[in-house]
Amino acid sequence: MSILEDLRNLLNNNPFKGYYKINRLRPPGAVPEKRFMELCIRCARCIEVCPYDSIKRADLYERLQIGTPYIFAEEKACYLCMKCPEVCPTKALDPDVTDKREVTMGKAVIDQELCYNYIYYKEEKTRKVSGKALLCSTCYNACPLMDEAIVMEKFILPVTTEKCVGCGICTEKCPTKPEKAINIIPEGMINKQEAGFFYRKYNIKPAEEMDKKAINKHKKTIERKENISSFGSEPDFEYDFEIQKNIEGWD
Amino acid sequence: MKISFYRRIVQLVVMIGIFMIPLLNILEIYFIKGTFYSIDVGDVAMADPLAVFQSVITSETINTVMLISVIIPVLLAMFFGRVWCSWFCPYHFLVEMLQKLRNLLKLKSIKPEYSESLVNRSNRIRLLFLLIGLFITGIAGIPLLNLISAPGIISSQALVLVKFHYFTFEIVFILFLLIMEFFFFYFFWCRLLCPTGIFLSLIDRKKAMKVTKIQPECSMCKSCIKSCPMVINPMNEGNNPLCHNCGICIDSCPDNKKRNTLRFKFWGS
Repeated sequence: MSILEDLRNLLNNNPFKGYYKINRLRPPGAVPEKRFMELCIRCARCIEVCPYDSIKRADLYERLQIGTPYIFAEEKACYLCMKCPEVCPTKALDPDVTDKREVTMGKAVIDQELCYNYIYYKEEKTRKVSGKALLCSTCYNACPLMDEAIVMEKFILPVTTEKCVGCGICTEKCPTKPEKAINIIPEGMINKQEAGFFYRKYNIKPAEEMDKKAINKHKKTIERKENISSFGSEPDFEYDFEIQKNIEGWD
Repeated sequence: MKISFYRRIVQLVVMIGIFMIPLLNILEIYFIKGTFYSIDVGDVAMADPLAVFQSVITSETINTVMLISVIIPVLLAMFFGRVWCSWFCPYHFLVEMLQKLRNLLKLKSIKPEYSESLVNRSNRIRLLFLLIGLFITGIAGIPLLNLISAPGIISSQALVLVKFHYFTFEIVFILFLLIMEFFFFYFFWCRLLCPTGIFLSLIDRKKAMKVTKIQPECSMCKSCIKSCPMVINPMNEGNNPLCHNCGICIDSCPDNKKRNTLRFKFWGS
């Protein structure tokens, strides 16, 4: 039965509907990736109206996503002008998303091993000098939701918050070389069910253990419920206080 | 004036237009935007009916925007037949230029000989191709036929060229088709395999404009059969799904000089 189940899962989860990469984002207002791939007819209207040339047309290297719109944040990020959702003819980009704070393109993640400010902070603590440290606030300054999506902890440490919309401007402007210290994880990439090809390719094992624990928890709950019995004699009811025969003044 | 003259003007306007539209958009003039998958002129929306149909069957939803954008193309096909293929499609224009080039170079003709069985076989091939394509689209859950929509790819490549100054890999498909058209097969994509054209030819065409022999007596010289790019007999097959109302047969008919013999007829009159 496990083989049949695997086959069903394989066929039901189209691998080309969930093909994610870091710093490769869908335009603002995009519906979840699986649905986006169903709705997108590759008409390139979002590419056409983008005044910053941020949205690019996917090429052969993006497999069956070829022709669909992407924003490659390392090259040029989305500047959240919100022009493209309203031109989509099939609503692959939601026209109701008009405010930049409603956008959910992904989330920025900071690599503390690469970020200049974190290196600076660490060296200040340990009093060692490596020559790499800098006081840099590029991502904080470049962020269109300054003090909302990226805040400065201890005045120098940039931290991303839940309000991050994933536009990628911080990634584009980040000065670290050759790898960026701050990268965008596209929306849906962290969801195991939707990751599809990406997840299957790497065969991550901890997810299986998590599943087993969940199953065990479920079994315990069922066992506890099955032990509750509604048969047998009803127990005698006992008051936990003494009943007064008379109440003063009610004669 | 010959019908081909007007058709060339329209085709040239379209070819120039697919480069002008992204240019205007770069200047932030958004009155016209889109490609031949889907295009807006002002507030009027038009979309490839096959693209919308695929989107509907893969996403299992339909919305008002999709329906509205399909009205004009469907009406055009209902009243004028498959004029999109012969008058507007940039791929058809390119193939016609290639055929002219072949004639100029005096290469041997690769056009197949007309016969009724050929016409029937052509219709079966194209319908089968569309059905298989839609079946695979349904399985994959992605609008796959849009990946082989020649007018859509040409117009989107024009956009990418004007905006970013490069081509994406999709242009290889178009180049491959053009090479096959030039050297090996005569009008094979438009005649047999183009999913957009096949889908448009399925639209009800009882009341559509079509080529009709209005004069029962003609010289039977068969110039119209020889000139027809779809390899059908225009004298009695104007209603055939293969006919895309290019008007070449009407221009080539010698009897039309004396009296009207082969003409476009409107709305079944």
